[in-house]
Amino acid sequence: MTTDRLTRPDIAEMNGTYALPRKSGELVFHAEWERRAFALAVSLAEQGEFEWSAFQQQLIKAVAEAERDDPLNPTRGYYESWLVALEAVLAEKRMLADRTA
Amino acid sequence: MSEHDHDHGHDHPHNAPPNPYHNSERSEARNAELTERVAKLEALLTEKGLVDQGALDKLVDIYENDLGPMNGAKVVARAWTDPAFKQRLLENATAAIAELGFGGLQGEHMVVVENTPDVHNVVVCTLCSCYPWPVLGLPPTWYKDAAYRSRVVIDPRGVLADFGTEIDDEVEMRVWDSSAEIRYLVLPERPAGTEGMSEDQLAELVERDAMIGVTKVRAP
Repeated sequence: MTTDRLTRPDIAEMNGTYALPRKSGELVFHAEWERRAFALAVSLAEQGEFEWSAFQQQLIKAVAEAERDDPLNPTRGYYESWLVALEAVLAEKRMLADRTA
Repeated sequence: MSEHDHDHGHDHPHNAPPNPYHNSERSEARNAELTERVAKLEALLTEKGLVDQGALDKLVDIYENDLGPMNGAKVVARAWTDPAFKQRLLENATAAIAELGFGGLQGEHMVVVENTPDVHNVVVCTLCSCYPWPVLGLPPTWYKDAAYRSRVVIDPRGVLADFGTEIDDEVEMRVWDSSAEIRYLVLPERPAGTEGMSEDQLAELVERDAMIGVTKVRAP
């Protein structure tokens, strides 16, 4: 039943999570780029390109930064912070260095 | 962008109440910007041979579909039907969960906390979104929201009420803050009227939210 609701495009493609079911089949990504950003970080960590904990520390930092002024109204969403954290880890490891220099 | 005003008079056609902890909406332009930023990053990493398109798709599929709350539900159902397993689960959750074949990135240090008639447990990660992926899949959107993360610590009863869960005043509420080191999983109470059910049937009843502790498991 939950699945039926999620496959209805008017619900699944809604902006925000307003009326999405809170049951176990809930969407966990709001947009495709969130899914890709998630996959990039996990994939690189699984391959040992960086330690998961290194990413996590950056994520904690990025989330705290977004919530510093008003914890209930962060300046950016969760996966935006995730992306900031990923970019920070990549910079730290100089994994993109020769491209961005 | 965060001051977006939601229509609180919105009539919900579904049986689930509206999610009380949702992200603020993002503008189309911002979304397009982020889409491009991630695409560029992905292209760069692909070019360097650090990631592979097919592998990424497969990974997302695994995390979205295979590592789901069903794994956690199996753990709970086993604990309800096998007292010796339950004992091991409460003593060393990581090892007991590994017996069922679940473990891996983000799920290493597990602690299971048991709900009883006197104690109700609820899990949060106040710093970010630490979550036991191998047993619960990916965290729901509300779990990552600042509103849930900050409020559940201050007013757990109120937050649970938002989820439609009433906890009696006599019941002690315990809030567990997950961290990079420890991931908590709630062992919900087995509902009355399920005595004749098999382990598989019981697993069907256990929803993700009950294992986070924001709801209870209900008999069918």
